[in-house]
Amino acid sequence: MTTPADEVLRAHAEQQFASDLDALERADDRPKPPNWRLSPWAVATYVLGGELADGTEIAAKYIGRRRLVEIAIATLATDRALLLLGVPGTAKTWLSEHLAAAISGDSTLLVQGTSGTGDEGIRYGWNYARLLAEGPSRAAVVPSPVMRAMEKGSIARVEELTRIPSDVQDALITILSEKTMPIAELDDEVQAVKGFNIIATANDRDRGVNELSSALKRRFNVVVLPLPEDEDEEVRIVRERVIALGHALDLPHDADALREIRRVVTMFRELRSGVTSDGRTSIKSPSGTLSTAEAISVMTSGISLAQHFGDGTVRADDIAASVLGAVVKDPVQDRIVWQEYLETVVRERDGWRDLYRACREVT
Amino acid sequence: MTEVHVLGVRHHGPGSARAVERALDALAPDVVMIEGAPELDAVAALAASPTMQPPVAGLVYVVDEPRRAAFYPLASFSPEWRALRWALSAGARVQFADLPAANALARVDEPLEAPADEGEEIRDDPIAVLAYTAGYDDPERWWEDAVEHRAHGLGVFEVVLDAMRALRAGESDGVHATREAAMRRALRREIRGDARTIAFVCGAWHAPVLVPDAFPSVASDDALLKGLPKTKVAATWAPWTSSRLAYASGYGAGVRSPGWYEHLFTTPEEQVNSRWLVRTATALRAEQLDASSASVIEAERLADALAAVRGRPVAGIEELLDATQAVLCNGSDVPMRIIARRLLVGDLLGHVPDGTPMVPLARDLVRLQARLRMKRSAVSHAIELDLRNDTHLERSRLLYRLLLLDVPWGEPIETGRTRGTFKEAWRVEWRPELEVALIEASAAGTTIVAAATDTARNRAAAAADLRTLTDLVEQCLLAGLDEALDAVIDVLAGRAAQQHDTTRLMDAVEPLGRVRRYGSVRRHDTEVVHSVLASVMTRVAIGLPSACAALDDDAATAMRDRIDGVQRAVGLVDDADIREGWQTALATVVAQRGVHGLVAGRATRLLLDTGRLDGAGARRRLSLALSPGTSPTDAAGWVEGFVAGDALLLLHDHALLAVIDEWLCGVPASTFDDTLPLVRRAFADFAAPERRMIGEQVRHLEAGTSVTGGRDDDIDDARGTKALARVLDILGISQ
Repeated sequence: MTTPADEVLRAHAEQQFASDLDALERADDRPKPPNWRLSPWAVATYVLGGELADGTEIAAKYIGRRRLVEIAIATLATDRALLLLGVPGTAKTWLSEHLAAAISGDSTLLVQGTSGTGDEGIRYGWNYARLLAEGPSRAAVVPSPVMRAMEKGSIARVEELTRIPSDVQDALITILSEKTMPIAELDDEVQAVKGFNIIATANDRDRGVNELSSALKRRFNVVVLPLPEDEDEEVRIVRERVIALGHALDLPHDADALREIRRVVTMFRELRSGVTSDGRTSIKSPSGTLSTAEAISVMTSGISLAQHFGDGTVRADDIAASVLGAVVKDPVQDRIVWQEYLETVVRERDGWRDLYRACREVT
Repeated sequence: MTEVHVLGVRHHGPGSARAVERALDALAPDVVMIEGAPELDAVAALAASPTMQPPVAGLVYVVDEPRRAAFYPLASFSPEWRALRWALSAGARVQFADLPAANALARVDEPLEAPADEGEEIRDDPIAVLAYTAGYDDPERWWEDAVEHRAHGLGVFEVVLDAMRALRAGESDGVHATREAAMRRALRREIRGDARTIAFVCGAWHAPVLVPDAFPSVASDDALLKGLPKTKVAATWAPWTSSRLAYASGYGAGVRSPGWYEHLFTTPEEQVNSRWLVRTATALRAEQLDASSASVIEAERLADALAAVRGRPVAGIEELLDATQAVLCNGSDVPMRIIARRLLVGDLLGHVPDGTPMVPLARDLVRLQARLRMKRSAVSHAIELDLRNDTHLERSRLLYRLLLLDVPWGEPIETGRTRGTFKEAWRVEWRPELEVALIEASAAGTTIVAAATDTARNRAAAAADLRTLTDLVEQCLLAGLDEALDAVIDVLAGRAAQQHDTTRLMDAVEPLGRVRRYGSVRRHDTEVVHSVLASVMTRVAIGLPSACAALDDDAATAMRDRIDGVQRAVGLVDDADIREGWQTALATVVAQRGVHGLVAGRATRLLLDTGRLDGAGARRRLSLALSPGTSPTDAAGWVEGFVAGDALLLLHDHALLAVIDEWLCGVPASTFDDTLPLVRRAFADFAAPERRMIGEQVRHLEAGTSVTGGRDDDIDDARGTKALARVLDILGISQ
């Protein structure tokens, strides 16, 4: 039934990085919390990369602040649940998958939160055929990933927690505080085995969709994942993703086209942070996120425009319209922000004349 | 035989402070020597006063140039302070020992603040370097674990001494050699005296060289101390603040978190983390943020787990802060800023007793008074200054600087709206309470100019709105504070960029324009103001159309006044780009629908006055605004905005008057009553003769003739030229 790891489109973290995990397991001589595959130190090394005593090089899975990863791991070690918060495109899901893989060796116990996620997605459902044939019994219960994680003593992941309706979210309260899941119909319960914990992710930009109740919030330690800290790092991420996406969409990428990436990233970073990259001029920030993911989509559509309607080289004209679309989300306030940015920053900058003209044209 | 105990400490280290107190109790020395300029001996006794409350700073400054000063900040948890207090209460003699400030401050060629380098750090705070090397990020924690847990009483200082000997092995210390020679010289003097037991409290780095057994020869120390330059210095105490403790000055590096150290010093060791988290929760609750006891418990557990992940024996301040953010603040860093300000740094303000010698700021004022020949007089009197005269300009600046420092010796009188005049009048009166104000201001700096600069900077950083900032720009300009001016302008530029409300930006334009235009009177380079003004104007021009939309009557009146203000500023600075951008914005407003009549009328008038719009265009706009589709009240507003100000326009452009006349006659009786007061208001500002002339014009309009019969060809050029020459002569314009 399972497909070999090298034939699937995308392998799970614990499959793809199995050699890293094995090497760490061998080298790991520090105390492990019960049912953890690795010690907290080894988990941190797995996520952040490093070199082991025997010379094995562990690749970094998450590039960012060490502090945050340490807080996340320490949280899971204390039996408190972990909530990873951040704007879209800040590697929340990525980090949660790798943490689960390193701690439990299994990142597949996953609940994808949507507005349609029901109680049974978090707790358990029923195998109705069996229920009708045999009456209520443990055999008729269909466990959710969370329930299975409790039984196994491993990490369960809940994606997009704030998309789940509030009443369903609150099913987590008992699980997190009592570490049990009652099955009222059978007058039975599942008690969590040591090592069980939950990593939830949520998007803090679409706030208010289903805000967590304060009772639930109190049971999570929150780590906010930031956008990439420096420009080169972000350019690198965008470049890699654009090339990868280009392959997937059969867009021939030309190396020259990628020259525009730096300008797009610079603009996004400046607008996001409200200050120019030289730190000398303040500007207003628009209402949109302008995340790294959006920079990637601006570049991809620029390449596509250049490919189909231009000569294949990405120029200022090709990206101007999508930059405008990404920045101006609110037609009144954002437009003022954008115009001010154009007139006070883009216009004055050396070598940006073409971009200024192109943006003026579409604005 | 004299017993000498060298107590090597970490400056501002609460752990060291405790150890010093314990050691002093055990040793009961009759002489306590403390690292510090010997000039401080003169004021040491003041520390015994109950009204002296740390944080305070021992201050030694050059009498003729108070800017050159050395500060020795002391917090309640500083080992030096504990030693000083111990000695004063136990009746032991206090002796500060170091290179005399008279010599140290005399080296004028040296920069006041030496740039910190790697070697400097290890000398200033060797214990911190040892702690960082051991993987700690809180040196006090390292002190607890590595020193206190292994040694007791005086043994602590043995450990420190050994560690420093190892650190200093092979070190040829050039920078501090003279200082250490001076410390040894002071120590030798005490040993020769009748002292029985001497305790020397010094920075850990210096400890190994102060042990008498290891002393180099007297001759080599004397050689180092010979022929040093000297200057006249004075010493006193100055009140200090928690936030200033964080600066590096005097006793090595500053403390990053004085609040935390205070906490470490006053809390029993086993309760440090719990109490800190409880205090954190209390601070958060005071800001209406939820922080339950259960969360406090979870935060402490997380801090411990974090310490384990990071391989540390116990959780320190880093772990506590990380845990606080994750558990108590929902990951947000906004509440963390409250914690940083309230708890980590703290808001303590020190106090010095009444008998403290005069602060350098007061001395600086005395010096300046003598130079500028200004007498302190208790009688209020007016003085007039001519700013072309250097001394007078200096006096004016001094008075403005004192105003910034909240020492209102003088009060400017009759300052008109313009700053273009060379004359300036003041009413000056010295009141006794100003002495107190000077002492309060002395925390900001040692000279009037430095203190005023610092104050202006702080006010700029704290300023809530643009208006305050533009006022501050004017004050800095008047006070001649170039450095502060640059800083304030920087803040202003930043705030202006963040300002979403165009009206606020517009308020800032006119003061900036004045500064730009009249700065030269006070001999200032206002180029930097110009660039800020240009960027503010760019933003105003972009935001103006939307700021003019959907205004009620009151808002429209305010907007009209603002537009007039900006127009005045644009006229003052005379910059083609700015003018062009502004007029384009006005043109957009004129063309926009739904703009209040008062504003649209005013904008049209300004465009007409500046020639952007010609007479025909203005007439077309006017008749459009007054066409039957527009409500009469709105139309009346338009007329008011358009005609108010200068009557000549209506007197000369009969066509315009005709359009207004036609409209007014066409207003239906039902709305005439509402319209009339508005129309009256439009004409109310004109002088009576102007109104009469307009009235006559209107009568002639009906008759189809014009009252100003005089035409261009009636002018006698020859006679006119003569008169013109005379007028030019009077005005001082050569032809």
